[in-house]
Amino acid sequence: MSIQVIEACFVISKMRGDNTIIVHTMSAMPMISAISPSPLNISSVPLMGGASGIGLGLAIAQPDRKVVVLDGDASLLMEMGGMAQIGDQAPANLIHVVFNNNTQFGGVANLDRPGGAAFDFCAVAKASGYATANRYSIVPELVAGGPALIETPGPHFVELEIARPSKFTRESPQLEFPDTQFQRMGAEAQAMMGALGVSK
Amino acid sequence: MAITDYAIPASALHDAFRVQGVNAVTTVPDFVQFALHDAMKSDGAVRYIECSAENQALTTAMGLYVGGMSPLVMMQNQGLLNCLNTLRSVGLDAGIPLVLSVGAFGREFANLGQPITKSQRACVNLVEPVMAAMGVPFFHLETVNDLPKVAEAFATAKEKQRAAVVHIGHYPAWN
Repeated sequence: MSIQVIEACFVISKMRGDNTIIVHTMSAMPMISAISPSPLNISSVPLMGGASGIGLGLAIAQPDRKVVVLDGDASLLMEMGGMAQIGDQAPANLIHVVFNNNTQFGGVANLDRPGGAAFDFCAVAKASGYATANRYSIVPELVAGGPALIETPGPHFVELEIARPSKFTRESPQLEFPDTQFQRMGAEAQAMMGALGVSK
Repeated sequence: MAITDYAIPASALHDAFRVQGVNAVTTVPDFVQFALHDAMKSDGAVRYIECSAENQALTTAMGLYVGGMSPLVMMQNQGLLNCLNTLRSVGLDAGIPLVLSVGAFGREFANLGQPITKSQRACVNLVEPVMAAMGVPFFHLETVNDLPKVAEAFATAKEKQRAAVVHIGHYPAWN
């Protein structure tokens, strides 16, 4: 059993309040941007591995807002040391969600990632000092677990077992990345600072 | 000059950064800047965040900055070379004007008073040209007379909307 990215993003969009910041990357990025657009969204792109660090900084600087990080599994592996930082700093308002499809470049090449399906992200989160760590493999589990993520102090860690997407074929060639891919994070940072009332 | 003449008092560095509004530090601790680490960590008005790797020091600082705080990123030269892609993404593409305080780990004492590009050690002599190649403004502090460059680094980062490096050439003094 597994959860589709669109299902996970839909549930998360319903859980977020008006003041919730979302930091997203990898497979969640296009879906959460479409389902739940907001100036309080920021993408970690092109910066694989950066989402949890950006989320930690935002959670510390904005303690009265929930900060939800939608991370990728291979991204989190790349910067796994950041989980120790989150445990150290223990921001009560941080919810760290990893979309685990056991894949790198999901939907494009579907390459295997290190660790395989047996790699236990929740065990790492618990050892790092997160307040809770839960793995959900079906949508009702995520729906049922959602309120506690919002209502109880974190940092919380959620591992979602995500369905591996179909990969590109010979008939769907890889596209050129547009300039906006490289300008997006900065533009979103400016928009978020505006929405937060931050002036520099 | 005596070797101690190259040791800028950590209190002066601390003050120079604090005057710029710094109220947070993200860091992978630097062998060179021990005295400045001590000064920053003991400052109750500074949120001091120890990071596992330099990439995380940069991304966490970005989150702090966007959220309204004024972070300083502290690392040593090897760490700077370790996080070039994140520096590219955060400090150039996204235009987050972070200031990095980078220590010249491994600099031979014979190089003090000389251009760091003349150091015999790659981790020392590569840093300035690599930053130049990336277009990251670079401000080298050799003696206490260079302290005004700290303010210049912050002003340049803000004006150009990109990261800037303050390079600490020798161990800061514990005063």
